[in-house]
Amino acid sequence: MSSKTAKLIFYLGTLSSAILFLILTWDTHRQIETLTNADKLSAEVVSGKKVFQKYNCNDCHTILGFGGYYAPDLTKVYRRRGGEYIRQVLQQPEVVLAASFRKMPQQNLSAEEVEKLVAFFEWVDDIDNLNWPPQDSKPRSSSSLRRLVGGSNVSPGAALFKENNCFDCHQIGGVGGTAGPALDTIGNKSTDEQIRAYISDPLVVNPYAQMPSFKSLPEADLRAISEFLSHQQGEAQ
Amino acid sequence: MITYKSQRAAYPYFVIALLLFALQVLMGIWLAMNYSFTLPQSLVDIFPFSTARAFHTNLLVLWMLLGFMGGTYFMVPEESKSELFSTKLAYIQLILLVGTGVAALIGFLFGWTQGRPLLEIPFALDLLVVAGALIFLFNVAMTLIKARNWTMIQGTLLGGLTMLALLYLFGIPFYKNLSVDWYYWWWVIHLWVEGAWELVTGAIIAWILMQITGVPRATVEKWLYVEIGLFLFTGIAGTGHHYYWIGAPRYWLWIGGIFSALEPVPIIFMVYDTFRHVRERQEKIVNPLVWILVVGCSIYHMVGAGVWGFIHTLPQINYYTHGSQVTVSHGHLAFFGAYALLNFTIFYYAFPRLKGIDKFNNTLGKWGFWVTSISMFFLGLAFGVAGVIQSYLERVLGLGFMTAQAQMQLWFQIAIWSGVIFFVGVVIIIYDLLSLKPAKAE
Repeated sequence: MSSKTAKLIFYLGTLSSAILFLILTWDTHRQIETLTNADKLSAEVVSGKKVFQKYNCNDCHTILGFGGYYAPDLTKVYRRRGGEYIRQVLQQPEVVLAASFRKMPQQNLSAEEVEKLVAFFEWVDDIDNLNWPPQDSKPRSSSSLRRLVGGSNVSPGAALFKENNCFDCHQIGGVGGTAGPALDTIGNKSTDEQIRAYISDPLVVNPYAQMPSFKSLPEADLRAISEFLSHQQGEAQ
Repeated sequence: MITYKSQRAAYPYFVIALLLFALQVLMGIWLAMNYSFTLPQSLVDIFPFSTARAFHTNLLVLWMLLGFMGGTYFMVPEESKSELFSTKLAYIQLILLVGTGVAALIGFLFGWTQGRPLLEIPFALDLLVVAGALIFLFNVAMTLIKARNWTMIQGTLLGGLTMLALLYLFGIPFYKNLSVDWYYWWWVIHLWVEGAWELVTGAIIAWILMQITGVPRATVEKWLYVEIGLFLFTGIAGTGHHYYWIGAPRYWLWIGGIFSALEPVPIIFMVYDTFRHVRERQEKIVNPLVWILVVGCSIYHMVGAGVWGFIHTLPQINYYTHGSQVTVSHGHLAFFGAYALLNFTIFYYAFPRLKGIDKFNNTLGKWGFWVTSISMFFLGLAFGVAGVIQSYLERVLGLGFMTAQAQMQLWFQIAIWSGVIFFVGVVIIIYDLLSLKPAKAE
């Protein structure tokens, strides 16, 4: 190879790649507004991003798959956990994650900061990123839920219990979180109706309850969940 | 034996780089322990994983850049056949950058951060980094301009360093849109390690090869053109492999997939090139360790960056491995293979000459090389296996994040031990370099 050819390879290689990259960058800017719903980037969402940066959340958690690999990815956390769980874990990580073998620091966020973060995660959740990550992907999770309900003898109440993230705080049969009490024997202590009332608005029954209210659930769903729970009468030890 | 007095300016850069490197590795061991053991909430509240990770990654960038800058100050006088424009500026720049680095680390402890991985340092300190980079570029450029002795190797080096400094600017502003934020974050991170840093590597390795092999300049420079041409061709558009899942248009799956599948090509070419220069050498081997490092660097570069990168760069695979411990495995092997070994090569080439030793005793140095290389390989394997477990359990089966993490514990423990052995290797290298002795006469 002559040194002239070598130089040609250098200039052609570099320039062609750079030009292609810059053109696609320009086009990406054109499309990314729609793909990310940039019109919904309210002041609250933007200040939520600032809070996210202020507390360096991204060096433990990944978001869009980038960042620290120490804690769960937050791209679809709003869909996976719901706003209420996010609030709880941000405000009292030492309680919610008491049984977890990996901890999250208590950073004493203000109530305002918590709300901004929730708004930020809600916006991020809607980014059209080709259904990544797979475990939170809408087409995948809805089909797995359908399989769960349709393909076995699981009651609709059990499916709803899972879908509404109750397992995040409660255990049944050794599966689930430990922020709230285990529910294996709840049916021995409470009736169907008592459980329904509690889920709907825990504070009415117990003014010190930490559990969020599920008033917003449709009445039929509340009934199905409480019926399912009232059958949890595992042999009390 | 150095030819120009001002080459001595490189020495403090190297020494500080080595000390920061040791600190980076210690912080790495601490991070691995965070993965394996449950730490008390009270400790997590004051020194969380995130802060330790910010230490680990910022120390990485700082020590490697100091190594490159020292290497540049060592090489430029000989290439341009003149003293540096100003050694005083070189020292001012060093104090400025190290001071900024220390301020940044202390700031992290108190939550003074921009909160973006690898680019955590706050805006005010960014300005100091830019000032340091400008002093550096000014100093090198003035040396070259005054010397009027332009060579292609210097051009590549200066080009790489300028590109490095310019790209850093894209990491400074606050981006409202998270997707746009990550889009430009990769202009810094990817275009650094697969663009600007490759130019710096290419230039420095070409120069050292030329010095120790005696292969004619025209040959070395010709192949350097081809090598960096291929690096930039695949590397620039290859940035697309980071844009698969960020909310960018779908065509990045194609662009990223195709260009990054080609990314091993220039690395294989580099290995071939190194071997050819070694075979066609005109000079006798004086210090075998420098040769081991040059060849080792190119091979490890190919394994860590080339093979490990290729393994999970295609969108069909990356969908499951993105942001998992597979990435951690690749990051460690690639940075060590490509850039830590490059720095070792620079150090072992420059230190004996700075200390006036012709042929040095390389017993300890060889131990250092093999201990670090092998333990890093085990570290990479441990993270890699953990990553495969995570990809399958969390991403394919849809189990919870922590459920998957619980199954990875064994491999995190292996990572701790690999890290401890790696640290021993690093201590050997630092001790050896700082107390380098002439070889015993045969």
